Formats: sequence, C-alpha cells, structure tokens
Amino acid sequence: MLKKSMWYSILAIACAGFILLASGFYKAIMVTTMDSPQSSSADPITQTPEDSTHSSKSPNTIQLLILGDSVAKGTGDEKSKGFSSYLPENFKNNTSKEILVQNAGIDGLESIGLLEQLQSQRLEKVIINSDVIFISIGGNDIRRILSLNTLEKDDEFNVRLHSYQSNLKLIFKELRRTNPNSIIVFLGLYNPYERATSLEDARLLNTWNYNTQQLIEEDRNTLFIPTHDLLKYNLARYIAQDGLHPNSAGYQALSNRISKSVESFLTGL
Amino acid sequence: MKLFSLIENEVIKMISKKRLMFVFAILVVLISVFAYGQNHTTERTKAQLTQRMGIAATDDWRKLADQQLIDMKNRLDNPYRDEKDKSSLRVRIEQLQYNLDNNINPLEQSAAKFTTRFMEQSIFLFLPLLVIMLAADMVSGESSSGTIKLLLVRNVPRWKILLSKYLTLMILEVIILFFAFVLSVLISGFFFGFGGWLAPVATGFKVIAGKLDTSTVLNVPQWHYTLMVYSLAYFVAIVIGSISFMISILVKSTAASIGIIMSTLVAGNFISYFLSDWKITRYMFMVNLRLTDYLSGSFQPIEGMTMLFSISVLLGWTIASILVSFLYFTNQDILV
Amino acid sequence: MQQTPVLELSNLRKTIKGKAIVKGVNLTLYPSQIFGFLGPNGAGKTTTIRMIVGLIKPTEGSVKICGYSVTKDFVKALSNVGCIIESPDMYKYLTGMENLLQFAAMNKTISRQRVKDVVEMVGLQHRVNDKVSTYSLGMRQRLGIAQAILARPKLLILDEPTNGLDPAGITEFRTLIRKLAYEEGMTVFVSSHLLLEIQQMCDIVSIIKQGSVIKTAQVQEILKHNDKIEWQLNAPDKAISLLREHWKIEAIQLKKNTISADIGQHPLDKLNEFFIREGLALTYCSAKQNTLEDLFLDLTEGDEIV
Repeated sequence: MLKKSMWYSILAIACAGFILLASGFYKAIMVTTMDSPQSSSADPITQTPEDSTHSSKSPNTIQLLILGDSVAKGTGDEKSKGFSSYLPENFKNNTSKEILVQNAGIDGLESIGLLEQLQSQRLEKVIINSDVIFISIGGNDIRRILSLNTLEKDDEFNVRLHSYQSNLKLIFKELRRTNPNSIIVFLGLYNPYERATSLEDARLLNTWNYNTQQLIEEDRNTLFIPTHDLLKYNLARYIAQDGLHPNSAGYQALSNRISKSVESFLTGL
Repeated sequence: MKLFSLIENEVIKMISKKRLMFVFAILVVLISVFAYGQNHTTERTKAQLTQRMGIAATDDWRKLADQQLIDMKNRLDNPYRDEKDKSSLRVRIEQLQYNLDNNINPLEQSAAKFTTRFMEQSIFLFLPLLVIMLAADMVSGESSSGTIKLLLVRNVPRWKILLSKYLTLMILEVIILFFAFVLSVLISGFFFGFGGWLAPVATGFKVIAGKLDTSTVLNVPQWHYTLMVYSLAYFVAIVIGSISFMISILVKSTAASIGIIMSTLVAGNFISYFLSDWKITRYMFMVNLRLTDYLSGSFQPIEGMTMLFSISVLLGWTIASILVSFLYFTNQDILV
Repeated sequence: MQQTPVLELSNLRKTIKGKAIVKGVNLTLYPSQIFGFLGPNGAGKTTTIRMIVGLIKPTEGSVKICGYSVTKDFVKALSNVGCIIESPDMYKYLTGMENLLQFAAMNKTISRQRVKDVVEMVGLQHRVNDKVSTYSLGMRQRLGIAQAILARPKLLILDEPTNGLDPAGITEFRTLIRKLAYEEGMTVFVSSHLLLEIQQMCDIVSIIKQGSVIKTAQVQEILKHNDKIEWQLNAPDKAISLLREHWKIEAIQLKKNTISADIGQHPLDKLNEFFIREGLALTYCSAKQNTLEDLFLDLTEGDEIV
C-alpha cells in the first residue's frame, strides 16, 4: 500500500532528521555563546612603535614616518613592499646615512581618523625624531560620495571637503607643534576608476586636489605630490587587481617621483 | 505502542489530505524562482565588476585573491592593529586560502551557499507560513468537519490524541525542512553546480554593547554551517508550530487561526522597527525568529538581544503554548 | 436481573452558561435492551448523549458504563461503547476502508478480519474502497454504524441516526439495528424524533422534555393500556358528562359530533350499550390502538416535534 510505505519513509526521514537537527542545534548554541579564547584586555594599540624607537635621534640616520591610509601602508603591492621599501631604496642614491622607516598606515583611514591618531600622542616620540613625514589621506573621505546620485553629490561633496579641510588644518597644526622642522610630503589623489568616471566626477576630484594643495602649501616646508597625471593613462600598469590600490609597479613609479622631488632636501640633511 | 498507531493515523490523514503535496509544490515554485533570480543577480554583479575595474573579474579572480591574501597577511603583522580585528582577519585569510587551494571563485554561487541562504531568508516568514499551513489545520480541521467526535469517543484518553497530533506536527516539520533542503540542493545545483560543501564559512560573531565582537570568530565547513542554519530553522518551526497548534485549538476554525497567526507574524516584522525601544517588544516571539542572524553576525533590530535570549523567549512561548493546548483540550466540552 | 447495568445515569445535570440544559436524568439499562430516547428538539437529548460518551463533562451526577465511571475511568468505560453522534462525520478524503482502519488502529482488539466482517455486515463491501466524499447519505450512515460496532461494544449509542434518510433507507436501517442487537447482543440506545421508528424498534422508551425525563416505560406496556376510542354521536356534551358521572372517564370533544376517550380497563361493549340505553344516537365507533406519538403529544402538551 502506497500510503503505508510513504508513512514509513516519512518516519525514517523524521527520525534521522531529528537527530541530525538536534546535534546542529546544540552546535549552533555552542558556536554563538562560547567565550573568547583569549582575553583581549590588553590595550588594542600595541606599544611597539614607541618601544622600538630610539628615544634620542642619532645624527647618522634619516627617519621617515609614513602616515595615513592603505596607500600609505602599501596595500595592493603584490610584493608587499609599498612606500616603506621603495622610498628608502631610492633615498639611498642621495644620502649615505642610514634610513629608518616607521609605517603607521591604517587601511580605510579617513582624515578624522588620522587627526585622532595624532591627537592621541601615541606617535609623539616618532614624530619628534622624523626628518621626512609622508602623508597619504583623503581617498577614503571622497570615495564614499562618488556612488551618490548627482543631486546629492554636490552638496555632500562640499560638506565633506569642508570637514576634510578643517581636519587637515588641525593635522598640520598637530604635526608642526611636535616637529616644526621636518619636511612633509603629501600625496595627492588619483582616480582608480578612470574608465567609469563621468566628467562631473573628474571635476570634483580636481577641486579636491586643488583645495588640498592650496591648504597644505601654506606651510612652507611641505610638498604636494600630484598622482593623477601619472596614473591617468597607466591604470592597467599601475593599479592592482583590486581595482583601487596601486600595484608594485605603481608604488615604484610614485616613489620615483617623490624621491626626485626631495633629492636636494635629502642631500642637505 | 498505541501512540505509534495514533501518529501513523495522523500522518496518513496528512498524506491523504494532500497538504504535504501542496507544501512540496510551493517549495518547488519558490525555490526555482529564487534560484533563477540569484543566478541573474550573480551575472549582473560580475558584469558590473568587469565594467568598473576593466578586468574580467570572473577570469582573473585568482590574481585578485592572491593580492588580497598578501595584503591581509601584512595587516596581520601590523602592530597598530588590535587583536579583535586580527581574529576576523585570520578567518578571512583561511577562507581565501581555501578558495585559492580549491580553485573556487568567491563570486560564484554554489548549491551549498544557495541552500543555506534560502533558509536564512525563509526563517522568519516563509518557513512559518508552511508550518502554519499544516499546524493550523490539525485540530481545527477536525473540529469543523465534526470528525473530532469520532476521535474522542474511543477508549483513548484525550491527552494521548493531542500528543499524537503534536508529535505528528514535529515529524512533519522535519519533512518540510527535508523538502526545502533537497529541493534547494537539486534546483540550485542545476544553476550553480552541486559543490561548495567543504568551503569554510565564518561564524561565532557576537554583538556586545551594540558593537560586533569578532574575537571568537572561527571558520566551519559550509555543510556544518548549513546544518546549524537548518537546525535553528527547525527550532523556529517547532515554536511557530506550537503557537499555531494552540490557536487552532482555541479558535476551532482553520481559516481564522491561519489569519490570526499570519497577521501576528507580519506585524512582528514591522513592530521590530517601529517599537524597537519599547521594552516589551523583545519578549514577543515574532521579533526573535531570525536566529540565523546570530550565526552570521548580522545586527539584531533591537539592542541587547543575544542567541540565548532569543532561544529562551521562544522556548517560553513554546512551553506556554503546549501547556495551554493540553489544558484547554483535555477539559473543553465538544459541542460541534 | 442481577447483572451490572450496561448504562447507569444518576442525577445527571448540565448547565451551560447559566442555563440548565439537562436537569437530573436517571436511567438504568441492562444488556440486550433496545432503548429509545424521545424528546422534542432542544430537550437535552444530544447533551445527555454527549455526557454519556464523555464529550461533555457533567455539571453534576455520574455516568457509569458497565460499572466504570466515564469521568474517572474514561478509557475502561469507553472500551464498551460504540457511537454515532448526530451526523456520521467521516474523513471524506479517505476511503471507507481507510476510515475503518483508522479506528481499528486505535483499538488493539480489532483484527483485519473483524473489519472485513463488519463491512459485510453493513453491506458496504462493494464501495468500501471508494472515497467517502462519493458516498450517499445512507452509505455514510452504514459506514458510521460500521465504525461504531467495530470493537464489539456492549453499548451502541445512535444519536438521531435516521436524520435525512429516505423511507427505504430508514427501513433498511431499522432491520440492521435489530439484526445487530440480536446477533451481537448489544444494548442499543437510540435517540430519534421519528416516534414510529422507536415504537417499532425499541423495547423501552424514555421521554425527555426540557431537560427532564417525564416518563420511562416498556413500549408494549404503554401501548397495551392506552386504547383510545372514538365515538360519533348526536349529543357529544351529554355523552361527555355521562361518561364522567358513571364511568369516571375523561372524554374530550374532537369534532362537532365526535368524542374521544381513553377507556382503560373498561369493556367497550358495555360502554356502547350504556350510550344506547341513555338514548344517544351512536353512528360510529372505532377502537384505535394508541401510538407512541399520541402519548408523546399528550405528555409534551403538543410541543412542536418534527
């Protein structure tokens, strides 16, 4: 009888299923309610940078501090080198001194984040001893508004630019308070989405870069390095697989440009 | 083993009523539509990525994954990063490594991913609907047709009759999930291939004080994750089944009981948005149904809810429903 | 008879929402009796039956079936009962056989062979594998009886069993019940408003009105002692007063020249002689056997019965 055999198969499935589901349920509870394997009571930001830095500056070294977002950090370099490796390699051509690098770059950092990082005084000792301070910031500030529609975009852009500018002012104030003499190298923004960008967006990016340059060059010891021109027609060569960060070649090209610009400054040290 | 015969009777009635076939048919239609839609979405995402990045993301995914893997390994060494981020990074690295080792494009769908996702999306409305279709009829159906009299004048105590019906419901809830699982695998496998069961999936997120705590995150194999999702779905099915069962005993009309419980469920979906700061809201069963969100680490609509909290609330409702059902049923006068 | 009663109701009462539906029913039935339960609609027949089978809990009083209390010893008490309450509602989406197997599964004592035997007993063997939804009312009734007698109950309760059956169906049904009572030795409890049915089928009858039993008696006894006579004569008023004075018989005037009276033990020929002696012109006289319906109408004072 058909119904009888259906009943037996239903019973078999139900029994097996019930045991399986009960074990899964137990597992699900365990997974979501277990305790942390390690107690994360330690200060989230490790103290390593301060500890490793020399408390007094040796005269035979040039100290390079890299601040800012993922580009500062070197994200996208398939050889995992980034500015931390390429800049010292290039600098060696112009100076005989030992070059020490500190990279404090953080992925996804916005201008407000950098400001907080500086105001926390955690990097104070490093900043005091730095000869060259390299900053890449702002990409994450502007990236978010590119996806908005045209109407909102203009307003939002102005709001963002405004807060970015005031953050930037404070960043410089903070750096100069700690170290008035170092040279600050500031990296301009490029457009990784050249092919998918409207004229309007290109205009916004230029406005951003222009305003940034205006602002930071109020400080006499600061250098603005444009990147837009270098990457515009070389995206395929210089942009990494993620479509956003420079690749190894890109970092090298940018490093070359930066080194050229600071050549004479380095020899003077 | 009289209880066993009683359950057999109930199951045979369910089979003959064609209710199970109906549930089966609904699942076939819905899963087919979802799978087709999912397929469509995946294709579009790929096209968008290709256009935006100027590369064929589908073909070149290995390079991209390699890149991400290196980046993440670097980040792991970064002294400026806190320990919490690191554990979630490690989990991501494991996943990418698995994809690379097994040549699985993370953008591609798989039957395993779809089957899991389908149940995650069904757990708060669609699955309860299927359960209600079976549960709401179990007692009220017999009341309205008058056959309840035939059952209750046997030499079998009333609680035993009701227990057999409740156990039958629990059996059929397994069958619903079994149907949903098998159909999801078969239909989505046709679109996306049948693989993906061993891929690592991250779970173990916790929300503490409104923030996602990732310190306990770990990878489990996909089949393991799927099993957990379906187990939680079964728990939800039992909860909804018990409540519908109670309402069907109290109301005695199938249509009315389906109406009551469905509107409660639908209302629950926006109650969690509009009344989220009202303390009582969190004790309603409707806002606690999305148990799988605790596995995937999605935020709960109301702050301070945890897996244990939700399960306790749901368990409370279930036990109360069963108690009311049995007390009322064994004492009521049958006047139909 | 010193046997345990099959059914014993003592002071059975039920109040629903403040309204007394059944007001203290007492009844004792012994094996192999066919009992008729009579009363107009709303008199409390169905409520009483539901209390007997445990569908409703009595407000007061007790029901004992074969010595077991229905409220305290439900399972043992109900092992001795088979019943149809109002309409024979069966699972329409199952076949007749599947329906019977459902009930057979609920009682270990019922074998496959018994199910087959019962199907033949009620004459359903040709249609038993069809869905119940295709059955006529008469066939459903037979299926209802089949499920009721499956477990060889000592007490078979049939509530309004002939509701909606056509005359041929009723005759068929009556034969079946008689056959069952004698072949299977069951006590049968029938409630019906078809009084003629009860009269032809039952041994004992109880009449219930507004929740109380107003008369319980052997059907034969009631009929024997209640012969009714009708006379057509020229002066009905004089005849009525004469009957009252000389014979202590209460007569009533039916039509212009017709009177009717219950003469009890008085011989009819003597009465006719008496009328002629008194100078009354007697044109017609008939001795009509009393029916239960007349009795019923008398007792319930002409309440509407369907």
